[in-house]
Amino acid sequence: MFQTVAILALLVTFIGIALHWVLTPAGGPRCPLSGAVHVFSLLLIEQKSSLLGALKKLCYLVAAVCFVVLAFTGFWPVLVQGKHITGFFMYIHATFAPVFALCLAILAITWAGSNRFTFADAPWLTRLLRRVTRLRVPVDNHPWRCSVAVYKVAFWLILFLALPLILSIVVSMFHLLGTDWQHFTLAAHRWISLVFAIAVIVHTYLAIRLRMACRE
Amino acid sequence: MKRRLIAALVVSLVLSASLLAAEEAAKLLGDESDGSRALPIHRIPLFSVSEKGEKAPQIDPNDPLAMPFSTRFTCGECHTYGAISKGWHFNSLDSNVPAGRPGEPWLYFNSKLGIQLPLSYRAWPGAYRPEQFGLSLAEFTKVFARHMPGGGPGEATPSDAGERADQYVSGKLEANCLACHNAHPGQDQGGADGYAIQVSKTNFRWAAAASCEFADVSGSVTDAGPTYDPFMPDETEEKAPRMSYDKKAFDAKGNVFMEIVREAPKQRCYFCHSDLFCGENDEKTEKWCADEDIHMTAGLTCVDCHRNGLDHNIVRGYEGETADSNSPMAAVTSCRGCHLGDENGNRETGGRLGAPVPLHKGIPTVHFERLTCTACHSGPWPTDRPVLAKTSRAHRLGTINVPKEPRVLPHVWAPVFVKEAVADPNSTAKIGPHKLVWPAFWGTVDANDVVKPVELAVVTDVVGAALKDIPVAATGDWSELKEEQIGQVLKALGESGRQKPVYITGGMLFELDDAGAVTSRADHPAAAPYAWALAHNVRPAAQSLGVGKCTVCHSTKSAFFFGKVTVDSPVAALANLTKTQYEFQKASHARTWFFAFSFVFRPWFKVVAIGATAVIGIVLLLYGLKALGAVAKVLSEQE
Repeated sequence: MFQTVAILALLVTFIGIALHWVLTPAGGPRCPLSGAVHVFSLLLIEQKSSLLGALKKLCYLVAAVCFVVLAFTGFWPVLVQGKHITGFFMYIHATFAPVFALCLAILAITWAGSNRFTFADAPWLTRLLRRVTRLRVPVDNHPWRCSVAVYKVAFWLILFLALPLILSIVVSMFHLLGTDWQHFTLAAHRWISLVFAIAVIVHTYLAIRLRMACRE
Repeated sequence: MKRRLIAALVVSLVLSASLLAAEEAAKLLGDESDGSRALPIHRIPLFSVSEKGEKAPQIDPNDPLAMPFSTRFTCGECHTYGAISKGWHFNSLDSNVPAGRPGEPWLYFNSKLGIQLPLSYRAWPGAYRPEQFGLSLAEFTKVFARHMPGGGPGEATPSDAGERADQYVSGKLEANCLACHNAHPGQDQGGADGYAIQVSKTNFRWAAAASCEFADVSGSVTDAGPTYDPFMPDETEEKAPRMSYDKKAFDAKGNVFMEIVREAPKQRCYFCHSDLFCGENDEKTEKWCADEDIHMTAGLTCVDCHRNGLDHNIVRGYEGETADSNSPMAAVTSCRGCHLGDENGNRETGGRLGAPVPLHKGIPTVHFERLTCTACHSGPWPTDRPVLAKTSRAHRLGTINVPKEPRVLPHVWAPVFVKEAVADPNSTAKIGPHKLVWPAFWGTVDANDVVKPVELAVVTDVVGAALKDIPVAATGDWSELKEEQIGQVLKALGESGRQKPVYITGGMLFELDDAGAVTSRADHPAAAPYAWALAHNVRPAAQSLGVGKCTVCHSTKSAFFFGKVTVDSPVAALANLTKTQYEFQKASHARTWFFAFSFVFRPWFKVVAIGATAVIGIVLLLYGLKALGAVAKVLSEQE
């Protein structure tokens, strides 16, 4: 079941992103190679050239690489080969996982502030509050940017899902859970990782779109 | 036409009804339980078998020429012998019976001839059929039936007229019901005049009677004169077998009280199913130093798990047995069946007989997919080098004059953690502890590179002559062979008419090249070790592998993955060869080592992961509280 659902979910995500890319073009180079370089540089361009900025860049890059490795080693055996992760795939998965967790923790600290929700992220909520409370809630007259809101939602979702994602595996390594709970945590890890992966993909895509929008 | 059809139908119905009725009537007194758990009393008449193989009149203990009682006709009075003798312990000759998981073979060995050969009538890969080795039914029975409950090859009728004539004298080795069901302490399977000795004297007809507490047999078929006829005994024939019964055991009606029990006591099973593990450096061990199986300590007996009905198709108790057995208990009396629930996921069978249902706290579930229950729970605790094991059947334990040296042949090594072969491609092969022997025998190789053993008689003559000068080890160990001696034997076998003679030993195949020099090939299938699963003794849960520490197995020095299994051989050049446990698990060195090594970093992984989780959690909590503060501020209707 997981195999089917995961393949469908990932397909829908990629098709959705492709459609969004085509229907709302963001400009930029058309050549795939230069486009890839362009996109890659966009991920870094926002950062400042301070020590902290360099750390952020490094963390983001390492986290991105780790995510790709973890997603590949985690999903490939299950989705393509139809079996559990095993052998070298598992060793690589387990080796990159703590690095990813560490980077994620650093990114959580460094990015959380800039991902705080503001009234501009939800003008409909502002209007609702004004109507309900009759208070003078400040209204942002700029057009609502859905991408920003979704980008922030994806960020917080990533952080929120990271907790059960990591704990479901770490807890199973201690002499705490019996076989039934081991099965449960393994299943939880699997399902959460699917949603987590989709959130990361969406977040990365929107990060690129927003950077491109900023450049224009 | 229609009338004829109706008439035929009626006749066939009547016939089938009468057949069914006859079948129903054929059920004997003891074939079906009435439900009582009380012990049925066996005060019974004894019957022998007649010259024509039929039931003879009741045995009179006062008759000086009384024949031995026949279990077929004595026990068969109340229990359908034909059904019982098709049970697992007796049906090895029946090719229609699924062989199931490879079990312990019969090991023919001869230290001076360099032979250690697994034999079985069952189609177990790696074991040879006795006739391939030139052993007739009677010869096989004479050598190995000491640890059989009779029946099978001992009871089959040979196709050869000469062998049939021999069987007329020796009689058939009938299923010895007493071997398992006689609870009397006088039941003698391995004593000086007991069952094993009678079998070795070819006293097949007398063996079962000789084993019981109220009968005695003197003389032997082997020593009897050539004109000896058991049905026309000559009182002057002193060396021929002679039966005497303890008259006090018979009541006024000539019946005997026999202490027969339905469930075989564990001591009866132990006669054929005991084992002894030597020390890591081949030192002797004592039985009193070893613990019994935890199930026995808990008060169970063998037959609590290894059950059978009238058909005597005893449950062997391995996972997946349901594919090979039609026993309704096969699914529920395995380790998993009692402790976790049956193979179909019926949890209600778990916990039967007071079996603790394990939680397996902290054990990743992959262990249950890759390992048998016995991998962690059974056999001796794995050591850096698997130890020599002795088994009842291989080393004739429990019989008289058993050599007690640790290195006596055959060399059985345990525990070796082998990935079991599975017949079903959809099921995962599991790793479990095994006993293992390295076959050593003289054979021939055909054009398809298939090796067959040379018949024992030829080996005895040709190889025996060629190796007559090599010294015999007093310890019962191999007589050491050198490559040039192998060459001499191979040449001698070639000269005796054997095409392409080879010698298999230590995982190698030795043969002569065109120039007549000895060459060797590794990894020939015929040289592969024969391994069979080891299920007992089960250790207590507290002594399971991995209790408390993963590194019992997952370390670069663990005996489970990196223990060195001796490659056993009489050839001096192969004496120090070993194979590592992971090779039997079909795993690569790099993968196994890397995984084991990763456990060095596992505590760090835990610390990093928990630390990262804590940081992310605090960030989420912090910003969550801030968001809550903003909401609270709005809801308090402040500007």
